[in-house]
Amino acid sequence: MNTLFSSFFSRSFCYCLTYLLCGLFCSVTLHGQERTAREVLADLVLSSDDEQEALIEELSNYGDPVIATLYEAWRTGGVYTLKKGEELLLLHFTDQQEWTSLATGEVIALTEEEASNVEKERASRAVRKALKGIIDTLGLKADDPLERIDSAIKMGQSQKPEFVEPLKARLEVEADAKVKGAIREALAISLLKNGEPSEVLGAVNELTEIKSIPARGFLDKILEAEVTAGEGEGELARATRKALVTIEEHIKRLEFFGSFFRGFSTGSVLLIVSFGLAITFGLMGIINMAHGEFVAIGGYVTFLVQTFFINTWGLSSEAFGWYFVISLPVSFLVAAFIGLLMEKSIIRFLYRRPLESLLCTWGISMVMQQGFRLIFGAANVQVNNPTWLMGNLSYAGFNMSYTRLLIMGIALVVVVLTWLLLRKTSLGLHIRAVMQNRGMASSLGIPVARVNSMTFALGCGLAAIGGCILSQIGNVGPSMGQQYIVDSFMVVVIGSVGNLLGAGLSAMGIGLVDQLLQPSLGPVMGKITVFFVIILFLQWRPGGLFPTRSRSLDD
Amino acid sequence: MLSTENKKEIGIFCIVAGLLMLIPSLNAWGPDTGAASVSSFQVSLWGKYLTYAILAMSLNLLWGYTGLLCLCQSLFFALGGYAMGMYLMLQIGTRGAYKSELPDFMVFLGYQELPMHWKPFYSFFFASGAVLWVPGLVALIFGFLAFRSRIKGVYFSILTQALTYAVCLLFFRNDFTFGGNNGFTDFKDILGFTLNDASTTRWLFVASAILLLLTYLITSGILASKFGKVQQAIRDSENRVLFSGYSTTSYKLVIFTVSAMIAGAAGALYVPQVGGINPSAMEAAKSLEVVVWVAVGGRGTKWGPVIGAILVNLLKSYTTQAFPDYWLIIMGSLFVVVVLFMPDGIVGVYKQLKSRIAQKRSLETSAA
Repeated sequence: MNTLFSSFFSRSFCYCLTYLLCGLFCSVTLHGQERTAREVLADLVLSSDDEQEALIEELSNYGDPVIATLYEAWRTGGVYTLKKGEELLLLHFTDQQEWTSLATGEVIALTEEEASNVEKERASRAVRKALKGIIDTLGLKADDPLERIDSAIKMGQSQKPEFVEPLKARLEVEADAKVKGAIREALAISLLKNGEPSEVLGAVNELTEIKSIPARGFLDKILEAEVTAGEGEGELARATRKALVTIEEHIKRLEFFGSFFRGFSTGSVLLIVSFGLAITFGLMGIINMAHGEFVAIGGYVTFLVQTFFINTWGLSSEAFGWYFVISLPVSFLVAAFIGLLMEKSIIRFLYRRPLESLLCTWGISMVMQQGFRLIFGAANVQVNNPTWLMGNLSYAGFNMSYTRLLIMGIALVVVVLTWLLLRKTSLGLHIRAVMQNRGMASSLGIPVARVNSMTFALGCGLAAIGGCILSQIGNVGPSMGQQYIVDSFMVVVIGSVGNLLGAGLSAMGIGLVDQLLQPSLGPVMGKITVFFVIILFLQWRPGGLFPTRSRSLDD
Repeated sequence: MLSTENKKEIGIFCIVAGLLMLIPSLNAWGPDTGAASVSSFQVSLWGKYLTYAILAMSLNLLWGYTGLLCLCQSLFFALGGYAMGMYLMLQIGTRGAYKSELPDFMVFLGYQELPMHWKPFYSFFFASGAVLWVPGLVALIFGFLAFRSRIKGVYFSILTQALTYAVCLLFFRNDFTFGGNNGFTDFKDILGFTLNDASTTRWLFVASAILLLLTYLITSGILASKFGKVQQAIRDSENRVLFSGYSTTSYKLVIFTVSAMIAGAAGALYVPQVGGINPSAMEAAKSLEVVVWVAVGGRGTKWGPVIGAILVNLLKSYTTQAFPDYWLIIMGSLFVVVVLFMPDGIVGVYKQLKSRIAQKRSLETSAA
């Protein structure tokens, strides 16, 4: 038990939690200082006035959150002394109504008599004031860089004059570049209010340089003050204006890149889903209205694989993180198999009747949707993100979630693999031959029936990979594929039917246009606009991006 | 003189007309109980089926006789329905929940006065005109764009489906001034007659029946004319028609617009009989349902769509009650079976059997 917990001690916030919950464990911190914060604090409580200054100075090097807890206890009368023979015990009465040793944090069992003999220790006014400064800047010295950044930002935003010095001091010793940046920003924001006039100007320039978004409000205030003071054209006002414009531009650029990034990831999902459709519809002439249900199969298979992993290895195990990787091929195979069955039993009768394939597959999609409802329930099922997919990759103030990056990666892999399959394998050669001329291919000895089954299975499998990916960014439910089906059909039409490169480009294009329009028009109007753009585009290029050239009249 | 074929057709037409008039007559003068009794609920239910049948006929005009599989028929139906719904909403007057001149949803959404485009809908005649020209105009513009760039076959279907999807999204918006999600409901009366009255229900049924018969006559008229011949030729081989010097674009555009107007009129009759309309009436799936009615009944036959629409809807209302969990599976499987084994629908089954028997016989005779 003890060793288990001590592994957490390296992270001070965990330590803090452990302390508050249990109050059991001795305070071993990995600061490298010889004494723990508790020991210094214990000395401070028992020290005489002339020692205090040195001890407070020593204490200010610590970032241990226990200082805050103990200080609060000391201030409100939770620290006691007890004479036990020769020994003087310094005790802390915790929130859990337990007596602990202040210097070590160990629980001490007191007899009733001992408990009635304890004496309250009070902090003097001067000590309280000095300690308050330490406690407020405690976060700056925390072990976790994120916590340091957090605390620096808070200190900056509060604009309290007493934080200027600690921030300056920390800036000099801070090693982490990110934390350093945050402290610089915080310091500059704080100086806007607390600095000398020259310092204010410096701070404004600094904020311009780092394009600080949180500083906007404070800069606005400065500008307002300058204008009311009749200094609207002064040096400071000009600098502030410049800063505001720079920051504003920076925000716009970030938003633009954000839409771009989202556009690419939306396009990637669309690409994977519509690639399957481009294969069944473009290459085979089958309008598979049940394509969306194959997307849902992908989602549900991911759910089942996840459940299997949870039942076998548990939710918090290392193995659980791998479920998503495993579910990609599994969902592909399951959907491809179901697609194969469907082709063998129904679709193969419809190759000459494309419009009727639409009706028939719609019937199948109704059956499948209701099937999902009967098996998994009408509500969405819960699919968790593996831990390694949580979080963001930040670059220059711009966040990209790992999930979306992974989606783009998978889309790229899918494109490359499909291309290789169609261009470099004999199955691909057969598929292309059948697509170009079914009758001729058949008379040259290509097993058309088998090629058809394989192609259809491939298309369905790709849809399921799309569903597998969607499970990470959206809901998994019986009608999850429906919302993508209309878009996917548009992608195939725009990209010229049967042309995978076209499908890829148009998926990215539609994804981008959709996301770039959304901020100004809202999601619904954005979608409607995209649709009308598509109609107009088809006026200009009726055959899509890369129309098939053919001598056949009815192509 | 009339040919036997024509006589047969007129005979069937008269029988159907008689059967249709039987329902409101039984409701008005028939017994209250027993097998021959028809309740007002049933009258409005069958009235609804009739509007569906008209919708199916309008699609048949496109898909069955011109070869255009249009997936926005439900959109035209809903547009007509909305136009009539606007008139009915304004007829509620101050009897709504908020006791305001404005329709309830407008009060709820904080409108101060009636939007400009609502005002003419106080007039029944304007509304009935809009029922026709709004879907017609949409079809004209969209059809012009689509046919001009030679979008045909499957691509036409996909584009029409996307159109339905886009407009449906638009109607789901609250700020589109058409009630958003909830659409229109709580109608009180039409032309001064209370909608709940048995006699109003009957007259609405009669109007639907008349529109159905009229649609039949229009279809027959078009098919018999030279226009209809070109139209069917487009279905069979558009390129040959094109090379013979016909502008297939204008033929398709006319038939698309006419069909949209018929669908709109059906929608206008649907709304008062059902008592409301909301954007889900124009979902893409609804258009597909219409296609299924036509396919089940018999594509390219005059009465097939009517039979299909009524039968599928009867089956639907039966299965949703009897097997609430499995009705989608039953309906879905039905479509698969129909498409696979009855390419000409129910009407075609007789022909299919006849040709099969003839085949068998000829085999037997040749064997003998």
